[in-house]
Amino acid sequence: MPARGTAIQGAPQPVQRPFASARVAEGKRVRALPVGRAEPAPDGVGFADGIQRWGVEGHFGIVPVARAQVAAGVLVRSEGALRCAVRRVEEFLVVPAGRLAPGERQALDDVGFPIFEADGDPRPHPFLDRWAAAQVVERRREALEREVCRDFLAMPQTAVLIVDGGLAGLRGVAGADRAVGVIKKHETQFLEGADLEVALTAPEGSRSSVFARELGDGTTILSWYLRLWPWRDEDLLHGLTRVERIAADGVVEDADRVSRWLLAERAPIAGRDSRWDRLLYPLHEVETVLRAQAGGWL
Amino acid sequence: MTAAPKDPIGRVVATEALPASPHQFHFWTAVEAPVGIGAIVRVDGTGRTVYAVVTDGRAYSDLLTPLHEVVASDGNPATPPPPSRRAEIRLWTAAVLRQDPPEPMQPVPLAAVHVADATDVEVALRMDTYARGEERTAIPIGLYAAGGTRAPVFVDADFLLGPESAHLSISGVSGLATKTSAVMFLLSAIFQHFPARKGSVAAVCFNVKGPDLAFLDLPSELPVEDTDMYAELAIRPEPFAHVRYFAPFKPDGVNLNTLRTHPDLVDGVEPLVWGLREVLDYAEVLLNRDDIDAKADAFLDFLADRVVGRPFVDEWGNHHLVESFAGLEGLFRAIFDGLEQAGGRDMWRTHHLATIRKVRNRLMNVSTRCKGLVTDEATGNDLPFGAFGDRTVYVVDVAGLDQLGQDLVFTRVVSKLREHLERRDLGVDNVIVFVDELNKYAPADGPETYVRKMLLDISERGRYLGLVLFGAQQFRSQVHRRVVGNASTTVYGRMDGDELATPGYQTLSAATKGKLATLPKGELMIRHPHFTQPVFLRFPRPAALAGRQGVERFPPAAELPFADAVVRQLVALDRRVAPPRVKDLIAGRREEDVRRALLATRRARPADVLAYFTARLGRAVPRDAGADTAPTVTPLRTVEDPYAPA
Repeated sequence: MPARGTAIQGAPQPVQRPFASARVAEGKRVRALPVGRAEPAPDGVGFADGIQRWGVEGHFGIVPVARAQVAAGVLVRSEGALRCAVRRVEEFLVVPAGRLAPGERQALDDVGFPIFEADGDPRPHPFLDRWAAAQVVERRREALEREVCRDFLAMPQTAVLIVDGGLAGLRGVAGADRAVGVIKKHETQFLEGADLEVALTAPEGSRSSVFARELGDGTTILSWYLRLWPWRDEDLLHGLTRVERIAADGVVEDADRVSRWLLAERAPIAGRDSRWDRLLYPLHEVETVLRAQAGGWL
Repeated sequence: MTAAPKDPIGRVVATEALPASPHQFHFWTAVEAPVGIGAIVRVDGTGRTVYAVVTDGRAYSDLLTPLHEVVASDGNPATPPPPSRRAEIRLWTAAVLRQDPPEPMQPVPLAAVHVADATDVEVALRMDTYARGEERTAIPIGLYAAGGTRAPVFVDADFLLGPESAHLSISGVSGLATKTSAVMFLLSAIFQHFPARKGSVAAVCFNVKGPDLAFLDLPSELPVEDTDMYAELAIRPEPFAHVRYFAPFKPDGVNLNTLRTHPDLVDGVEPLVWGLREVLDYAEVLLNRDDIDAKADAFLDFLADRVVGRPFVDEWGNHHLVESFAGLEGLFRAIFDGLEQAGGRDMWRTHHLATIRKVRNRLMNVSTRCKGLVTDEATGNDLPFGAFGDRTVYVVDVAGLDQLGQDLVFTRVVSKLREHLERRDLGVDNVIVFVDELNKYAPADGPETYVRKMLLDISERGRYLGLVLFGAQQFRSQVHRRVVGNASTTVYGRMDGDELATPGYQTLSAATKGKLATLPKGELMIRHPHFTQPVFLRFPRPAALAGRQGVERFPPAAELPFADAVVRQLVALDRRVAPPRVKDLIAGRREEDVRRALLATRRARPADVLAYFTARLGRAVPRDAGADTAPTVTPLRTVEDPYAPA
């Protein structure tokens, strides 16, 4: 029975990496499992996220110079109040590699910002140049997010850290076993067939069985889908998140408890964000704090 | 005085929708910041410091629509609270009190906001111009207490008692002991802090209801917080050292018409008794609007100029010496009889018979309605006009009089004060007149009365004379606009919501009105010429005994029979007087004669009270049967006044 129609504005963009492989790590087939009554994560839990903003500041001839600011932070929750525990900000310039004359490069150096070079086609192309700059900015933001997560996990307390996005970047980081990744986008599908259908149609308050995906360096990421809000009468992915944890003893057994924490984050609703059905309010708050503190230069 | 936190508690914010202006700005604080409505803050900008008072506050979260809360709670309000609290803002609005430098006047800088400390409060309210140095004219009026700061607040004597501006108006709902308490506290402050170089000052307080002002010379028991407040304000918590009480008699002419009749206290109450002359001078008070015409005025003037207090022979050969109401009634009788015998003429010395009857009715009505205040004697007992004492309170207890009597007392006393102040022979340089229920004497609407005209005159010109009006009323909107408008200092206690909805309060923010509507005892809001915005203050209970406690501690004595009342008054004058001797003396004597002798004795205060009283009483004259009662005056019914008593 198809869900009621949902209006779609514009054509969907092509997905860069639509499929990846994974194996079921909890039972033999993927099942939809009720996680039980929502319960908040213990006091002291951290929430990590980052922001990026960039724009083309000017040109040398047709060579674009992008100026970017990325920021990342961790908010800690204590007795319901969120306060900033870690925050890092970086501002830099991005130029296409090898396309600036020495004098032009010197002029940029004199500005005082770090300069990163974007790899791209040696032939100038305005769209590709921008795309390449965007990739640099995104990598820098991811790097900064990793740093604030590392900072938080290195703190004396042993609190859980809920991270916006996947955990692949945290492999090898001390304490990363206390991190929980919450993914809102479902561009890459790890399951197929009946397993995928069960996972994507799990009812509100249920999760899929845990499945494992291997990274190239031998690290195993354990993951499961968690439905926060009912999807009937909405889009198939409405209220659907995917949770990641770095494989360790007891992670599979702990999936229900972690899911209950995340289920408790349905309230408050991050209503100012269109992704409110998957965006946890504290993660939205991290973005709000970072944007407010970054000011409005762009 | 306590210090405020040094760190900023907020920052000024300005948007296109909520800009900062030279007179108002907005700032945010942490949720737990110690600010509230009425708190004074300081903004430190570059080269500019701004002082302001908080007038409004708002709090909101990032919740886009209440529906999100419903959805998040599954529509169940009993759902446990969410694990995270929403980001919340406290956004305050502040009205500028002062900018330094004042010129050029500019919008408030977008800078850090601090809670004002005691020095800031002094500067913000411009008290630094009159609360320092040799020429200090500061009168403490209360304690500013907000944001962790406690600081005394002063008003400027030059603007409270003249000559720059003057008068005080205090409003508030009844029953919260704010109006009278605040005025009594302020009088104490004035008596202790009014600069000697500015002359002497006294107060005349009209006690218009109950025992409100009957115990001002007695100490009250003050809790520690009040004595602390007195210390912070540098005021000694003492009752008034010099108080004189005046009250009319009851209709029997011997029992005082006041609640201060406890045997331990009654000695201090002096009778307020007036004769015909005192009443006639203010006869206008007794006439209602319809009566005030040129004919009545002319006849009253004739009586005052040509008849009262001097020998007068009428057309029929009768000799009159009118010094009392009885004498006046004799003259009227002679006129009516003479005209009737002359064949029913209706004019007497250019005055129409109807006018004479009307004036006679009004005047004689006074002697009936104000019996106890008005005596049949030529002279009475009055306030010591010409010998007023510095820092002395004169309480005139008119609570037991009807409206006519209150109007008469009020008008005459205030008019006499004005006359003496104009001649600079009152005994003091400044007099504060405290009138409660001002809305009764100077109502915003209704007929023009002599009392209201007089109050308008005082409020507009009194400051040049040193005649200062402290008026109290429940509803400011019900007092004449020019009377309250001329009060340079305005005090508000807890206000009624309906009153706050009237146009006079439009300049106050909704939050300020809300605070006014819930103001606790001992707190008030004040406007003063030096304060560009109203300020909330606390004040201690008066150090003098409040009326209600006074009556509990000193219950009024029961009304005494005539002879006992006479004895009590004489004993009060001289403890050696033997009651049985007095009773023997007055036994069988006419009450008028006894009253006359008693009043004369009280006025004279002789060394030998009994001997003086005996001499004034004179020898007993055998009485005719039926002469036991004084001839009563029956007002005549006239066509013009169909409702006059028959």
